[in-house]
Order: sequence, then C-alpha cells, then structure tokens
Amino acid sequence: MDTKKLVADMKARFAHNSAKHYLKEKYSSKFIVADQGGLWKADPNTLSFLYTAQEKTILVDLYDNPITIDAQKLYKKLLEVYNLTMQEWHEELKELEKTR
Amino acid sequence: MSRGVLLFGFNSPKVDYVSMASYTARRINNFLKLPVTLVTDEESTENYYEFEDFEKIIKIDSNKDNIFRDDIWINKGRYMAYELSPYDETILLDVDYMVNSDRLLKIFDLLEDYVCHESMCHLMKPEITQENLSDFSFPILWATVIGFKKTQKAKQLFDCMKMVQENYAHYGHLYTFSVDTYRNDYSLTIAHRIVNGHISDKKNILPWNLIHIGLKTKLYVERKSKYNTKYTIVFDQWKNNKLKKEYINIADTDFHVINKEVFLELM
Repeated sequence: MDTKKLVADMKARFAHNSAKHYLKEKYSSKFIVADQGGLWKADPNTLSFLYTAQEKTILVDLYDNPITIDAQKLYKKLLEVYNLTMQEWHEELKELEKTR
Repeated sequence: MSRGVLLFGFNSPKVDYVSMASYTARRINNFLKLPVTLVTDEESTENYYEFEDFEKIIKIDSNKDNIFRDDIWINKGRYMAYELSPYDETILLDVDYMVNSDRLLKIFDLLEDYVCHESMCHLMKPEITQENLSDFSFPILWATVIGFKKTQKAKQLFDCMKMVQENYAHYGHLYTFSVDTYRNDYSLTIAHRIVNGHISDKKNILPWNLIHIGLKTKLYVERKSKYNTKYTIVFDQWKNNKLKKEYINIADTDFHVINKEVFLELM
C-alpha cells in the first residue's frame, strides 16, 4: 500500500505532537537495564550520581530495592545505553521534523 | 531453563482468533526467537490443517458464556496459563498484540515471579487517563502481556484469578464495576492485590507503558508482508469545531490493537 498517497488523498495532516509523544513511548523501555542484581534506568540523574560515586556504593533500583553496586561498571554500562538510545531517538526526531 | 510464549485463541462467530494467533506466532518466532504454544478448543481448529508457527497446540474445553459487543468472547480460563504452559518462563500474550521488535525479551531480565503492565498510553490520545477498576477504586493492571515463572507466588496469582473469575459478581459488587462482561484485566488486578496483601508491589509492574491503538483509529501497513514493522496511523481530531484527519508514522514498535477488525486487516 502506498501510504503516502493514501494520506494525501485523505488530506490528512501529519500530527507532530502525537509523533513526538510516540517517540517518547517507543524509546522509554530502551533505557531500562538489568544489571548487578537490580533494574536501572539510564537517565541523567542516575548517570550523574554514578559518575561521582565511590567504587562500591548502594543505590535504590527501579523496584525500590537498595542494591550494592560497582558504580564504575554500572556507569559505563548505563552511559553506553544512554548514548546509543538518545542518538537513535534524536535521529528519528530529526527525520520526523522534516515531515509535513 | 525453557522460555516461550503462550497464546489463548478461541474463534467466535465473528472473529477468527486462531488466524490472529497464527499471525502473531509467526512474528514472535521472527522477532523474539521464542517457541509459541497455542491454547485453543476443538471447534476453533477443525478448519485448520497447518500449525507450523506453533511448537505445541493444547486443546481445552472453552467457556462460551461471556458476551462482549453482541459477540461471544471466549476469554475465560486464562488462569489455566500457569498449569498449561510447557515453559519455565512464559510470556502470556493476547493474540491482538502486534510484535514488531524484541522489546518483550526484556521481561526475562526483570522477572521474579510475574510481571504485567499497569500503565498504558493511547498513541493518538495521550490525554486519556489510566483506567480504574471503578470510579472510586485503583488503576487496573493489563492482562495483555503477563510474564511469569513457575514459582509459588505466580501460582498463587493464577489461582486467585480463578477464584475471581468464579466469583466475578461478588467482586464486581465489592469493587463496584460492571460484571456484564468478564475481563481478565479485572481478575488480574484483584488477584495481584490479594497475593500482595492489598499493597501494590512495583516489582510485578513492567517499567514501560503498554501502547494501545484505539478503537477509532485506522492503521495501514507500508507493505503487507510477514514481518512489516512500519505503519501509518490515521485518526480524527477535532480542531476549531471541525473534524480533521491526522496521521503519524510508526516503526519497530510493539502495540496492542483494540479493534480486532483493524488487526485482521493488517494480516
């Protein structure tokens, strides 16, 4: 099916806000990482804490469990996930902004 | 440690759920690389000869006394998933869940006993709030995706779902919801609260939203193929007292199609 022709025939407008909302939903689960016996979100807050933390520290995971972690190892892992996911999200958003 | 997906599919006079299950199984095999077992009944399978997408077919006696929108809706007996699943770790999935990625594999990373969705979003209607069991009650859990291990606690959950199903009118009266149509979402919600001592435990909740494609939405595929993952969603939006059509394009995203006719058109 030629969906471009279809939406043109329908005179449908591209919904930028809904598309932006969709991307947020799409990428939300990609930031979730299970590591060192806990469940973490690769977000700026967690990364900032891990960057400054001692080697061994205790952090509350997404399920409210305090877990003893190797901060440097977790930082490396979360940073990798964060960068990769944000890059994909950013690129897809740039593509989306070109749509009319 | 065996892992797999369990689907329940019973044909109704209007909807061919076994075909839907077959289509979904093919996508699960491709994107998740997991075996799929179908739970169905004799009647639903008499016209099918090929079940190559399933590792196993389990036939049970179906309960046909549930009605939804003037059609028989065979959704009772979902509690049997625990006993019927041939896998140590199972994802119990609705057949109208469109698998377009490997996102569900993440369930196995966080699975202790069971997990399911509490929060959802409608892609085109972000303003729709979470559904509650009733006006003065708590948010419902969604039975669309349930991951479970064969543990004592998971068994308790499914045993409790059975109890709620068998005493649905009582629980409807207790929590003041309509009992006209039986919903697994409701029995899961109540069972989850019972097995956790009426305290919601975050560890049983998936930390991302269940994405719904709502009823008044049209969904088109770029190209009808086995594993297409690109869709255009068209929907009506009121703007300045005029009804206007809007659309978005989505790709590589799992979603739950509420309108069965829309799902059948995608196959």
